[in-house]
Amino acid sequence: MKTLTWLVIGLALLVATMPPVLAAQGKPLNVTGVRGITFGVVFPGVPRVVVRTDAANAGQFDIGYAKFSPIQITFTLPAAMSGPAGATMPLVFGANDGGYSSPETITSQVGFDPRVAFATALDKNGRAAVFIGGTAQPLTSQRAGNYTATITMTITVLP
Amino acid sequence: MRISKLSLVVLALVIGASTVQAQTNNASITATAAVQTPINVVGAQQLNFGNVFPGVNKTVAATDLTNAGRFDVTGQASTPVTLSFTLPATLSSGANTMPIDTYTGISAATSAQTGGVAFNPVTGANPSLSGAGALFVWIGARVTPATNQAQGTYTANVTMTVVY
Repeated sequence: MKTLTWLVIGLALLVATMPPVLAAQGKPLNVTGVRGITFGVVFPGVPRVVVRTDAANAGQFDIGYAKFSPIQITFTLPAAMSGPAGATMPLVFGANDGGYSSPETITSQVGFDPRVAFATALDKNGRAAVFIGGTAQPLTSQRAGNYTATITMTITVLP
Repeated sequence: MRISKLSLVVLALVIGASTVQAQTNNASITATAAVQTPINVVGAQQLNFGNVFPGVNKTVAATDLTNAGRFDVTGQASTPVTLSFTLPATLSSGANTMPIDTYTGISAATSAQTGGVAFNPVTGANPSLSGAGALFVWIGARVTPATNQAQGTYTANVTMTVVY
């Protein structure tokens, strides 16, 4: 009896030490940055909009996990892009700049506000794509040069 | 053998604890933009034929730094641009007109026309702005006054358009 008891305890401890993402579902939660937002050439004082349905320039992430899993999507969105000699250029995201696509196609999206958490569920394929657009707002005095910013998307599997 | 109640409780607690951990993952992408300097074009100097006489053609070469028409362009350094022109066929003085033709052009990075490149204004040109973001463009042409050309001051507009 004592041996079996110790075996059970040992098994419990082994389960507890397994990575949660595998222990709970047997499949890893994959989040991939597929493509960045490309504003291209912009001119001082002239805003440049990239809509989430822009196949060439919109940003894209891909999600892969267990089918039908409830998930929450949150973004860390920069307020500005960084450029030469410390220059910054405002970057704005609007209420319709996020797009969730179960079929993983840019032409079929459900719009959402990337500034707030968005809850949804994966479909029977366990995959989805998220698209994002935004607006670069160069100042009239904007310094010429290349500007960049990082956009991070976090996926949380809901209980 | 019997499994003790204590071991079953431990097992249940551990398995239960392992299933409530939140699963989270993230990824990042980059937003990029390239701010360019706007193009500015100035008509810096008129194309000046000076005094002309009836029946005597007069040509101003694009290499004539004093009398050729000149446009000064500023913009994004080392960037190619496309030049196109609206070229009049006549000069006017009231109701009188005088033909103008045989347009010539030169573009250069300096106002001294150093290293200038000739081009045909009728078809335009595709030079690049200098490393300082500058470009100078000269226009020459020929007027052909008639033998009975009426006296007067004849003028017309030559327009240059520049795009990235």
